[in-house]
Amino acid sequence: MKLLALAVLLATAYSPVLALWPQPQSIETGSSTLRLAPGFQITVTGHGVPGDLLAAVGRTKKALFSDKLGRLVVGRGAADAPTFAQAKSLSRLTLTLGKGASFASITSEAQKAPEDRDEAYHLVLPADGSGATITANSTLGLFRGLTTFSQLWYEHGNTVYTVNAPVTIQDAPAYPYRGFMLDTARNYFPVDDIKRTLDAMSLVKINQFHWHAVDSQSFPLVIPGFTDLSDKGAYSSEQVYTVSDVRDIVSYAGARGIDVMVEIDTPGHTAIISQAHPDFVACAEASPWATYANEPPAGQLRFVNPDVTSYIGDLFSAAVKLFPSTMFSTGGDELNTKCYDIDEPTQSALNASGSTLEQALDVFTQKTHKVLEDKGKTPVVWEEMVLVHNVTLSKETKVIVWISSENVKAVVEKGYKLIHGASDYFYLDCGGGGWVGANPSGNSWCDPFKTWQHAYSFDPVANLTAEESKLILGGQHLLWAEQSGPQNLDPVVWPRAASSAELFWSGPGGNASAALPRLHDLSYRLRQRGVNAIALQPEWCALRPGACDLTA
Amino acid sequence: MGPARPYALVLLAFFTRCALALWPIPRSLVGGTTPVKLSPSFSIDLGDVHDPPADLLAAASRSRSRLDSDRFQRLVLGRGASDTGAIARAHTLHSVSLALCPGSLVRSIADETNKPIDSKSESYELWIPTNDTRAMLTANSTLGLLRGLTTFEQLWYDYGGVKYMLDGPLRIVDEPAFPYRGFSFDTSRNFYPVSDILRTIDAMSWVKLSVLYWHIIDSQSFPLGIPAFPELSEKGAYSLDEIYTGDDVQRIIKFANERGVDVVVEMDWPGHTTAISSAYPEHIACASKSPWSKYASEPPAGQLRIASPSTLSFAQTLFASVAQMLPGTMMSSGGDEVNLPCWEEDEQTKADLARRNITIDDALNEFVQTVQGVIVEHGKTPFIKSDMVLTHNAPVVDDTVVVVWQKSEDATAVAQRGLRLIHQPSNYFYLDCGGGEWLGNDVLGNSWCDPFKTWQRAYSFDPYTNLTIQQFSLVLGGQMPLWSEQSSPENLDPIVWPRLAAGAEVFWTGATLPDGLPRLNTNATASTHALARLNELRYRMVDRGVNAIALQPKWCVLRPGECDLES
Repeated sequence: MKLLALAVLLATAYSPVLALWPQPQSIETGSSTLRLAPGFQITVTGHGVPGDLLAAVGRTKKALFSDKLGRLVVGRGAADAPTFAQAKSLSRLTLTLGKGASFASITSEAQKAPEDRDEAYHLVLPADGSGATITANSTLGLFRGLTTFSQLWYEHGNTVYTVNAPVTIQDAPAYPYRGFMLDTARNYFPVDDIKRTLDAMSLVKINQFHWHAVDSQSFPLVIPGFTDLSDKGAYSSEQVYTVSDVRDIVSYAGARGIDVMVEIDTPGHTAIISQAHPDFVACAEASPWATYANEPPAGQLRFVNPDVTSYIGDLFSAAVKLFPSTMFSTGGDELNTKCYDIDEPTQSALNASGSTLEQALDVFTQKTHKVLEDKGKTPVVWEEMVLVHNVTLSKETKVIVWISSENVKAVVEKGYKLIHGASDYFYLDCGGGGWVGANPSGNSWCDPFKTWQHAYSFDPVANLTAEESKLILGGQHLLWAEQSGPQNLDPVVWPRAASSAELFWSGPGGNASAALPRLHDLSYRLRQRGVNAIALQPEWCALRPGACDLTA
Repeated sequence: MGPARPYALVLLAFFTRCALALWPIPRSLVGGTTPVKLSPSFSIDLGDVHDPPADLLAAASRSRSRLDSDRFQRLVLGRGASDTGAIARAHTLHSVSLALCPGSLVRSIADETNKPIDSKSESYELWIPTNDTRAMLTANSTLGLLRGLTTFEQLWYDYGGVKYMLDGPLRIVDEPAFPYRGFSFDTSRNFYPVSDILRTIDAMSWVKLSVLYWHIIDSQSFPLGIPAFPELSEKGAYSLDEIYTGDDVQRIIKFANERGVDVVVEMDWPGHTTAISSAYPEHIACASKSPWSKYASEPPAGQLRIASPSTLSFAQTLFASVAQMLPGTMMSSGGDEVNLPCWEEDEQTKADLARRNITIDDALNEFVQTVQGVIVEHGKTPFIKSDMVLTHNAPVVDDTVVVVWQKSEDATAVAQRGLRLIHQPSNYFYLDCGGGEWLGNDVLGNSWCDPFKTWQRAYSFDPYTNLTIQQFSLVLGGQMPLWSEQSSPENLDPIVWPRLAAGAEVFWTGATLPDGLPRLNTNATASTHALARLNELRYRMVDRGVNAIALQPKWCVLRPGECDLES
């Protein structure tokens, strides 16, 4: 971490105006003004350049001139204008793969297992107007470098410029899994909202979309062979993700360096399956829901029933075909045993077989996971499958901690790779009050609101040994959508989700106070790109870094 | 105009069967069980209104087009598919006739809206018959007709393009419990384009809010373009593009007034004025002085030099210039959060005080009297923030309206002084609470008014708590404010809607629901009661282009009663 600390120090000492997010691992900057030439070109050396890299180059060229981000200082860059006349112009950026590397699409690089992704890049921006370069050992690394390059520039009076040339950046992520989870079951989000979110994620180098596609409330995912689930379980025939929608989302994400891990949460969170298959679901919509589920409606898979187990195996098998990711989340959170206590079919099956509920869960988990593993997929589960239930999981299984950050240690002590998503740091939906009816003074269970500063202060390896720390893959912000929909998606997510993006790219220990001006830059740039990121402060403060600190 | 007691039992059954999607719920309402639909050629007939004013014609025209464009379907499983039989046999309405009660003068909605707050007539009666093809809407004023049209629009569901309701015949007799039902909007901490303000006003009118309390300027920026003082906004706005020109202000006020929304401009003085220092540094003490926390409640510090005669004269002229721009009968001089060390350490203020041999309290009193004098001279009722009265004992004119903001308990102390008041307590109504700290370098800080104020919390407010019956008449109503340190066009709709509607019903419907039960009974927030209607309002708002947030998963919305705590 010493090198990182030095780099951050250098960055804040010598380049207070760089609008980069996440902060690169190592950066050196100067103080010359450099403009982008009107005919600025980006070229990729070599043959067989993949289409998604060429498309990324095209998008970057466009964004460089359409972002029109004014520097966040009083006057918004007017003071820089006098330096423009003397400034050199940059007319070319060249992307080059390192020696021995061969071209593969960004998509295929992004869809590798997190541990196998190569996102490192080296960026050089000379001050004299000679060509800028990005080199990397993968197209994914080149793409990350392009994203950084696009954040180097401000605009004033139609001049696109930096005042910090020359710039040299050596960069690679601290953690390979940097995600964002969206729940599209409690309320539905149209494909365009998801794509806009993917664009914003890509801007901050988030590389994993964890798609909690279905839940007890609705089943919007159309899975070939299982279309009765969405026919009967979606909120309406318009509120579904068709096969072509899913392909569209997966390829849109892939081209932006993002892998899509779908979650079909089982055996809990499945009440909606009862619409098409009432026999498969115990305690469906049982009342009082609070006895049988953490939220309404109650309903869980009758996993003791072998037909249900093979049905879910087949369902996973069909769903896997839609998602090229190496990972597939089977969920496993919030299983309620009282639901099964009152379920006659479950009880008689248990009596007949002489097994316990936990033993039956173990069988269900092993069988459904085997389907995935046979197809080369790594199962991903919520923490209870490791900490609460006594089920057999392959050691490759990845575990997401959500209940509390205090449970991290227990998961890694069992030797599983871990993804941080603890509610006490990363839940974007907390703090909006209770949503259950007839509960006038109810608060959200995970009160209070999780500020960006709080997430930013998270230590991914707190209380872990060096060996245990190696099991940390990264982490993510999460949006559960009981109180969210397309109407507030952007404001509830952005810029907060960017705080974990930097935490897991740049590494922990960042100073939130020093980061704030850059987060303002990011927020303003997101808005320029049509993402409704909220204001973190009055604009008066955004234009005067430090002036609104607590002790200023 | 109490509820029709004999019908209470009928209505109870009616409400559990199918809640009408009305918000705020009328004071009195009697419905039946006959389905009614609108003829495709349905018309809003103003023939009985002699020489109808242009803004009433426009309102009728908007209502007519909303009857077509609203595609709001019933929030039940199937979204109205089970109503097809009812729709087929429904009684068809061909028109609604608007009429003013005999003896009423025909004035524009805007003129009615700009009457003094305690003399507006917003009452109306609406009759949806099942034995006639003509519905009737009557009122004592065009403003009442507007309120009735707003209710009329909310009666209808859409299924397959047919607009229908299930509760005919229906008689509504309605008027607000409180005349002042507001939204306080800060456009200084962050700027909002005119179009955002207009959309917000439109949505306000859908829930019969009557006042936009426009906190237009503050220490951070001065977006108000004043023709006589152009340099204030030229130098004090965030940019030349982030200014409300005189024309913008007139356009906003006209748009609001035509929708029954009065506009109260607040010039929050003598604190909250730092932005004036960009153009007039001589009038501001402790401008941007550090540490800000010693001199102000939030950065940047800066207050008018109240002891300076030239500043007083400047304030008087400036206030008059703004007052002249405003057609309404109310104006606020704010006055919250004044900071004494700011003046105590200001050399010029010290010299002014010494030369004039007065204290800061004297100067503050003089300042308040001066700006209130300007407001009164312009024929307007002065508003002032509660701390100016309760903390500083500033002498205010008798008909001052006090904005109670720090905490709900302060209303009692204000009433004890015999002053009229509106409720805006931070512990119930602040829309900005709960988003965490916005100051820098305060990593674990929370917003000062944590937690988030839920709609349920706002809805639970009782405007008469701790007041004597004799004091009730002092309560004009209340408002929910949005302070914009952490808000901007990006989250305006989601942070305001539908929560602001909770305040709208608190002050329109008052203490009693049309079924005769107390509004604040234990089931108020149950999904078979207010929540079901609020979900309907939210879906209708989204349909109309306002990004109101989801209160629940749609699964719950379609099944009223199944997501209650005890369901």
